Amino acid sequence: MSQEKHMESRIKYLFFPKSVAVIGASRSPGKIGHEILRNIVEYGFKGRVYPVNPRADKILELKCYKSILEVPDEVDLAVISIPAKFVPAVLEECGKKGVKAAAIISSGFKEVGNVELEERIVEIARKYGIRFIGPNIFGVYSAPSKLNATFGPTEVLAGKIAFITQSGALGIALMGWTIFAGIGLSAVVSLGNKADVDEADLLKYFVNDEHTKVVLIYMEGLNNGRRFMEAAMHCSLKKPIIVIKAGRSERGARAVASHTGSLAGSDVFYDVAFKQCGVLRALNVEEAFDWARAFTELPEPKGDNVVIITNGGGIGVMATDACSDYGLNLMELPRDLIEEFKKCMPPFGSPKNPVDLTGQAAYDEYSRALKVAFSDDRIHSIILLFCQTAVVDPPKLSEVISDIVREYKHCKPIVACYIGGEECQKAMRILEQNGIPAYPTPERAVSSLAAIYRWAKWKKKMLKKLKGK
Amino acid sequence: MTMTPRELIEHALKEGRTWLYEHEAKMLCSLYGIPVAKSRVAKSKEEALKIASEIGYPVVLKIVSPDVLHKSDVGGVIVNIKSEEELVKAYDRMMSSVKEKKPDARIKGVLVQEMVPQATEVIIGGIRDPQFGPAVMFGLGGIFVEIFRDVSFRIAPIDEEDAWEMIHEIKGFQILKGYRGTTPADIEALVDAIVKTSNMLTENSEIDQLDLNPVFVFEKGVKVIDARVILRK
Repeated sequence: MSQEKHMESRIKYLFFPKSVAVIGASRSPGKIGHEILRNIVEYGFKGRVYPVNPRADKILELKCYKSILEVPDEVDLAVISIPAKFVPAVLEECGKKGVKAAAIISSGFKEVGNVELEERIVEIARKYGIRFIGPNIFGVYSAPSKLNATFGPTEVLAGKIAFITQSGALGIALMGWTIFAGIGLSAVVSLGNKADVDEADLLKYFVNDEHTKVVLIYMEGLNNGRRFMEAAMHCSLKKPIIVIKAGRSERGARAVASHTGSLAGSDVFYDVAFKQCGVLRALNVEEAFDWARAFTELPEPKGDNVVIITNGGGIGVMATDACSDYGLNLMELPRDLIEEFKKCMPPFGSPKNPVDLTGQAAYDEYSRALKVAFSDDRIHSIILLFCQTAVVDPPKLSEVISDIVREYKHCKPIVACYIGGEECQKAMRILEQNGIPAYPTPERAVSSLAAIYRWAKWKKKMLKKLKGK
Repeated sequence: MTMTPRELIEHALKEGRTWLYEHEAKMLCSLYGIPVAKSRVAKSKEEALKIASEIGYPVVLKIVSPDVLHKSDVGGVIVNIKSEEELVKAYDRMMSSVKEKKPDARIKGVLVQEMVPQATEVIIGGIRDPQFGPAVMFGLGGIFVEIFRDVSFRIAPIDEEDAWEMIHEIKGFQILKGYRGTTPADIEALVDAIVKTSNMLTENSEIDQLDLNPVFVFEKGVKVIDARVILRK
């Protein structure tokens, strides 16, 4: 194995360590060194845990070691939460111990101008072949190994979205928010100063991680744009990458001697670089997770034809507008399909696309229309809309819809939007649990389906290009 | 005398310039197969007359000075010169204007250029970003780029398909395609010029920024009318 491959292979120990040492583990609740250890223990990490603290014998019922060198076991991952100035010495010990990966939580490096100190830890890590995230981070979470080595919330939901964040506070906050929103994560990585591991390294890892279906990145800036593009291109061919890039309004501090220079704000390059390597840029957190949820659950569409099924004209028109805004192709229904849809609705319904089942539509109308849409090969994607009415119990509708989608083995992308009261919230949760992404507005549902189309289109184009070469 | 791109750039840097003279920039374009307006440098009025008669009137005169990057600002560009008499007058007017507006400017000569018939104006640009390296830009000339900033970018290198997308991406694309009876512009030639600009940027790491502005797009073919190349110090 080449040196480079060897270093790359060590990144997996951030997510699948057999043993973890928490250096700077603390007895005092509220201290970072305590909360990380508590999260590791309470979340039920599958491997072995070793707190390291020279002034404690036991923390959270675990035997404590004076130094990592005293741990009578191999240590794969070291989580380091001690004052910055002690980090080099401790990292040196980690190296001697044969630690493979580290999460350096400590702050007080480059972010406050301590460039030299940061360079020193990079040097030490290189010397011993340790790969590390940070410094200046909140930790790492890995769903399959049940590792929550963060000082974020404890009960993170396991899922298929790998979330990489450059921002600490926002990252922790979003971890909490995903729990509230019922969104599952396969991994969370806090990047901090990116002294060693950066976005490109992680993309190279997640592209082959069977637990991850989509990568979501909160980014402020890259250290090496070209390297990111290469890794992103490679990853996007297999898995979608969604990026929230903050600092859109920022203008590059460039000496402008040309017209071209005056037209190129620094954000322009991020924007086109993303486009060129298939990265989907979300404008905000909500959009990013909306898309990620869709990618987690839905198959790739086999064609461009989208059909809207609704019980309300207004919401149907809004979805139609959104389709036009996001470049989705509302299918012109052929005669025979119009006849089929006509059978699913009262005489005053509209069998054209959007298929309007009318406000009196209930379980039977929805299930028949949905079956038509699923069984006909000319229809490739479905947008299902529902405005709450008294004739339908929303959770029950969700059960009916889920049964049909299951019956057709999730063979086509379907997104849903319910508008109404609390019952609709509950009902949408049921859809989510059954692998149908649901959204509170038609625009968000359409935008999410459109993201899937954008990615599929890029991939098709790129594969064709690569084949031609 | 034919120089390689490397020689052209090194020559300028050796002279202490961080930019290429217009004729050097155009030579660079030519070396990459991008068509440019016919032009030659004259060291005297007599030589200018000779070159003009060879190129054919009308012609354009542009000042050549290591101290003048923005030629129009010092009266260093005079267009549509139709005869020898006009050229003599234009030459004298330009010299006195440059001397008045920039007294210490060293004048190396004048560039005599063919007057190219009006066509659809576009701009092809290049820039080097510290993060992503070389990138190319495309836009329609005039108010489209000045006011609407209607341009598209790509990180270089790019291929024909990318260039084609860049052209189609701008809002003013319809103008190139032809509208209300105007003739459509030669998109294929434009694609070719953009790809070659991308090659120029990726193969010459000394180029920091460049403007081919304007580039005229005809029904058949394109021509670079003015070119500016800024080098890295």
